[in-house]
Formats: sequence, structure tokens, C-alpha cells
Amino acid sequence: MPYISQFMGRPIVDLDGEVIGSLSEVLAHKVGEISHPKIVAIEAKKGSHTIMIPFSDVAAFVIPAIALNKRKKQIIPYEPGEHDLYLIRDVLDKQIIDTNGVRVVRVNDLEITRVENEFFIANVDTSSSGLLRRLGLDAISKRFSNKGKRGAQPGNISWDDVELLSTDQPMRLKVPGEKLAELHPADLAEILSDLSRQEGRDILESLDLETLADTLEEVEPEFQVSLLEGMPDERVADVLEEMEPDEAADLLAELPKDRSQELLELMEDEEAQDVRKLLAYPDNTAGGIMTTEYITIPPDITAEQAMVVIREQGEEAEVYYYIYVTDSAGHLLGVLSLRELVLAQPKTKISDIMVKRLVTVHLEDTQDDCAQSVAKYDLIAIPVVDDDNILHGIVTADDAIDKIIPTTWKKRLPRLYH
Amino acid sequence: MLAVVGPGIITANVDNDAGGITTYSVAGGDYGYSLLWMMPFVLLALIIVQEMCARLGVVTGKGLADLIRESMGVRLTTLILSLLVFVNLANTVSEFAGVAASMEIFGVSKFVSVPLAAIGVWLLVYKGDYKTTERVFLIASSIYLAYIASGYLAHPDWGEVGKAFVTPNFKLEVGYVTLFVTIIGTTIAPWMQFYQQASLVDKGIRVEDYKYEIVDVVVGSIFAVIVAAFIVIACGATIHKQGIMVESAKDAAIALGPLAGKYAQILFALGLLNASLFSAAILPLSTAYSVCEAFGWESSLSSEVKDAKVFFTIYTALIVLGASIILLPIKSLIQAMMASQTLNGILLPVILITMLHLINNRQLMGKYTMSRWLNIVAWITAIILIILAVILLILSIFPGLFR
Repeated sequence: MPYISQFMGRPIVDLDGEVIGSLSEVLAHKVGEISHPKIVAIEAKKGSHTIMIPFSDVAAFVIPAIALNKRKKQIIPYEPGEHDLYLIRDVLDKQIIDTNGVRVVRVNDLEITRVENEFFIANVDTSSSGLLRRLGLDAISKRFSNKGKRGAQPGNISWDDVELLSTDQPMRLKVPGEKLAELHPADLAEILSDLSRQEGRDILESLDLETLADTLEEVEPEFQVSLLEGMPDERVADVLEEMEPDEAADLLAELPKDRSQELLELMEDEEAQDVRKLLAYPDNTAGGIMTTEYITIPPDITAEQAMVVIREQGEEAEVYYYIYVTDSAGHLLGVLSLRELVLAQPKTKISDIMVKRLVTVHLEDTQDDCAQSVAKYDLIAIPVVDDDNILHGIVTADDAIDKIIPTTWKKRLPRLYH
Repeated sequence: MLAVVGPGIITANVDNDAGGITTYSVAGGDYGYSLLWMMPFVLLALIIVQEMCARLGVVTGKGLADLIRESMGVRLTTLILSLLVFVNLANTVSEFAGVAASMEIFGVSKFVSVPLAAIGVWLLVYKGDYKTTERVFLIASSIYLAYIASGYLAHPDWGEVGKAFVTPNFKLEVGYVTLFVTIIGTTIAPWMQFYQQASLVDKGIRVEDYKYEIVDVVVGSIFAVIVAAFIVIACGATIHKQGIMVESAKDAAIALGPLAGKYAQILFALGLLNASLFSAAILPLSTAYSVCEAFGWESSLSSEVKDAKVFFTIYTALIVLGASIILLPIKSLIQAMMASQTLNGILLPVILITMLHLINNRQLMGKYTMSRWLNIVAWITAIILIILAVILLILSIFPGLFR
């Protein structure tokens, strides 16, 4: 299949054989259900004069010279619309997101495919052989690509998996990338790490509140802060509400005092209260990394009634599997797993089936202690109590091991300056 | 404002690297104060170039290599970056030469100091915490103040110094023109433009904060040039007056000993060592980032080398080559160091024109393109540099031409 670079600069010849100019731009847009953009116009450039020729005027789109089926005077210039993609200006040589491979890559070339009389952009070429082709070293490039099998070349990304990243001032990506919204927040976070801060901010702006909150949770607090810079306080407050309280607290702790106070005031009272509580503890202690969203039930109800309570509380909880039993003063009495609850006879009392021998951590225990206990007792979460055995929160396993097993973020060495 | 300040000042500090200190020492030692008059012009040019970098970085949020690739296509990108890699290799050589020279003052053989420095630098970036390291180097950079002190200790005739600042002169001889271009090349080193812009982008400075960034750039540039001027003055007041010819910063440091005291000599040597190590760490890293950025290769320094093969190859190759070239039996380290600075002077116009092309691209910069007068000044700077580079080329090919 031909590549767009092979057409660049080729002469465009009209019906009389007159050279109108050389190809300097290719316009394409999506038509109907097909996800690959269709070529709709080509631009001919002669000196400083350019003309946009509708693709319907092209008789033969071949490499040595492009032949038109009209005379120069008969051409009605194509009027570029809002959805037209300038392939050479805005796609070639630019960075794109490969949503399949979850990474940011640079476009070395675009592969064109022909379906009947129409031409579509099939693949994005990010390979080194694409680079060589652009350098005019076709022969070496071919030898490279022949090594691979026909069909799927490494470095060839189907347009289906491509998300454009246009931060050029005049044409920003207005519609949030649909393909991006479908990615797992952890993957989105990884992509953000490959981008510059500014590009990262642009992507975040295009996400809905929930995805935005989930993605930010996957990002290191320091990086979060720089991503949130310049975002209006109202929106940041909304995002903070959407985030788990412990993550929100971590983020706020990174901000200057007065800004975090302002943000807390903008947040809904209930959420702000949770966060304030967590902010009171140093961030490497159980109190600092715990979450306050968990399920509690009183000891004197039946298994049946407990299910009703869980249905009401469950929406907010971070971990569903453990149900904590507390008295009216908040003392931790026992715990039972969802499994035990479901398997229990409906009329059984909770106090009869709950596990009373509990593994807990103290508010001031270190994160390391939490991780040790979680690993030793194979827990999904561990309850956090104070001196009087009052339950304050739970530390989930992922938060506990966070510092011990670094995420991609931590592995990434700081770049040139921080 | 404090959050924004940094990249400009750091860049300016790293600017006085091994090659820089050597160049200024030789300029002062061989020509006394007679090159001082160009310092205000160098400062002006430095501010203009750094400002352009800052503007490009802040407005586009992209690195220089990235912008070159996106708006100039593959061929020009390949050309410019190949030149950059070549020149940066020469610069890396000169940084290791600086390590060798400064340690020789303390009696350590280059066969010990250079391999150790190379391994240290490599491990530092691969294993270490770069952030901490950078801070350590930066604090150590206050040693630069020692150069100002050395300048005073040398008891220059200030009337004479002042006069030299306002008395332009120009000699058409190889040594003078070479130094002339070299001073510009080392003060406005091309790799610094890539480094500074990357720092800015990495820091995520926003367009709204741009006015503070200018302060950063100007303060940093003034500091860099003052330090440079004082090195020239220190060497001019002592070494030149005694009629000693110096070949290197090492010579200068040794010559300073009896003339300005033992402390001046030690400080001079330590300053050189610190500057050399810092740049030896940053230069290969910055080069590898630029290349990978331009060609879209993975460039994060994650623990897996196989994920970023090209990045590690370039980075390692620069350090290994840079260090081994110094260990070859080269007659004079100074030749290697000065040659690299001269190459800088020749690459600079290419980078400048590229930057001017980018910064005036309305599609890229929107309303932040350069104003007309800034454009005129920048173009004049570029043209003067091109003329100087051409003269230098001619002189190096036909040394006897103007005699």
C-alpha cells in the first residue's frame, strides 16, 4: 500500500498536461460508519499560490504524478469544513496516542488504502522504516519492512486505535477523545506521563468528572498538582469530591495552605469533613492513608437486616467485602465478610457470626506496618482504630502496598528539571 | 513567582561549564581585558536567545526538538539533530577534559579521575535521584562566586577594566576571531537551548506566568555573564600582566597560585570540577532526550533498559566516547575543549534561524509571536553570528589569509 509521504511534492497535472502545482496537503474526513478517514481533497502548491482540489477531480492518484480529470480552469476549489483533517499539517510528524498499545508515539508516515475508487487512511506508521522512507532511503526501508511478515507490521497502528493530540492553538481537540474515555484510568495516567504538562492538562479537560477523578487517583500527588494548575477552583473542588477521601487528602496536602483551604470550602460539607479529618494525620501513617468510606453495621441486627443496611451504604464504600461491626459509640466489635453474611441463615444475629479476633492498626502506625499486616493476614483492607478501639477508617491493600511496590510513576525518573 | 523561577537561572549556571571557564581563562590570559567590550553584547544576545526559548517552551508546551520535528519535517530534523549530537559529543569530551584538568591540579591522574567520573555520572542518572543531585550541583555552583572573588583578589586596575568595557576592538587573526566566536559559542551554547526549553516544559509553566519567567531568564543571564567577565578580569590582571601564555583553565589555575594566592587556585580548580561534572551529567542526558523526542522513541528512564534502547544507547555512548577520547594520547586537552566550543559557535546560527522560524510561526505561537523590534534584534544577532562563523571557517582552513 502506498504511503502519504510518497505523494508529497509530486506534480499534479490537469487534463491538458499542465502542471498545476505539487501536492502540499491532503484533506480527509470521516464518512458514515467507517472509522478510517476518507481523502476528500488535495492541495496543489505552485510558488506561493495554492489551490485545494476536490478529490473527485482526481483521475489517477498514483505516485509519479497525480492526474486530474479536469482542466485547471474548470476546477471549483474545495472549501475545507470543520471536520476536515489536515493530514500533513496536523497529523504527520505529530504525536498521537495509540490507545491499543497505551502509549504516545510519533507519526512517521500514513498508509493509504484504496477501496474501489475511494482512498482511506488505513494505518499510522510509527516504525523506523517509516523514518527511513521519509529520509528518501526507500531501499533500506524496504529491506527493513520485508523482514517482518506481510500484513501487520510492528509500528503500524490501525487508525481505529489512534487518538489525535492536537494542542496547536488554533485547532484544539474540542470533542473529548471517545477512545480515551474507554481506557482504564491507570492506562490514561500512563499516557499522561508520556505527555507534556500542557498536553496532559488538555486531555484532562476533555474528560468527564468521574474519569478525571479516577485518573488523577492513579497519578502521583506532585504530578497531580501540576496537572490541576490553572483549572478553575470550582472544577477542582468537584473533582476532589469525586475522588476517594484519602486520595483527595493526599492531593490537598501537596497544595499551598490557602489554596487547599479555599478548595475545602468549595467542596460539599460532607466530603470536606471526611477530607479534613484525614488531613490531620501525617501522610505516611495509617491515619493519613486510610479511607473513611466503608460499611458498618450494628451487632444486634439479623443477617437479613444487615443486607438491607449494606444496600444503602454500599454505594459509597471503597471495599465491599468486609463489613465492620460497631456499637453506637463507634467501638469496633467485629468484622465479617460478605461471603459469611450471604451464606448465613437470614435470621442469625450478626453478633453470633462475626469474627471477634480482629487484626487492626493504630491511627499512628506507619504505612509499612499496614503493609506488613495486610500481607501477613492476606487482607483486602485493614481497620484503623484509636487508643479506645474506636474505628476511624480502613486502609485498603492497594494503598498500603503503594509505597512498597512502585507504580510506573515512581519508576519514571524525573526528567530534566523538577 | 518563586514557583516559576528556576530554569533560566539553572541554565545560566550550567552555561559556565568546563569549556566556558577555559575559554574565558584563555581570553583573559592571552588578550587581557581587550575582549571585555563584547561582554555586554554577549549578554544581550544571551537574553534574547534564552527569552526565545522560554517563549517557545511556555507557549507551545513542547521541547525544541519536538517543535523542530513537527514543523520542519524529517529531513531537516535529521540534519539538525545529527549536528547537535556531533557537537554535543565534542562538548561532552570537553566536560571530561575539565574533570581531568581540575583533578590534575590536585595531582590525580586522568586515567583515574575520568573513568571514575564517567561511571559515577552514568550510575547517577541510571540509579540515582536526579532531583537531589541537581540541587547538590546547584548549591555547589555558588563556587562560581569564587571567580568573582578571584577577580578582586587579583587587584585589577579598575580604571583600565572600565575602559576596556567601552573600547571595542577587533583583530583579524585566527586566535582572536576563534576566541571571539568561541566566547559566543560557549556562552550561548546550542545544547543549552534544548535543555532550557525542556526544563520549562517539564516544569509546566503556563502562559499566564510568562512575565515571571522573563525575570528568571534575565537574572540568570546577567549572573552568567558577570561570572564570565570576572574570570576574564582575574586572568587578565594576573596572568596576562606577567606575560604568561595559558593554554587551559588548568594553566590558569596554576598560574593564579603564586599571583593571587593558594586559595584562588583551589577555588578555581573546584569550580572547574563542579562545572565539568554537572555538565557531564546533563549534556548526554539532554542529548538523548532531544533525539528521542524528535524521532518518537521511548525516552523515559524506567528501570527496563529494553523499553528505551535507543535512549540508553545514545546516553551511554556519549559518556563512553566522551570519556575515552580524553584518555587517548591527545597532546593538549585544551585543543579538544576549545574545538568543541568553536563547533558550538558554528552550530548556533543554525539553531537560531530554526528558532526564529518557529517563533514567528503564527499557527504555532498564536498571538505570542515576537514583536517587530525583537525580531530585528534577533535577526541582527543571528546574522552577526553567521558572519563570524564563516570568518572562523575561512581562517581555520587558510590560517595565513589575513597576515
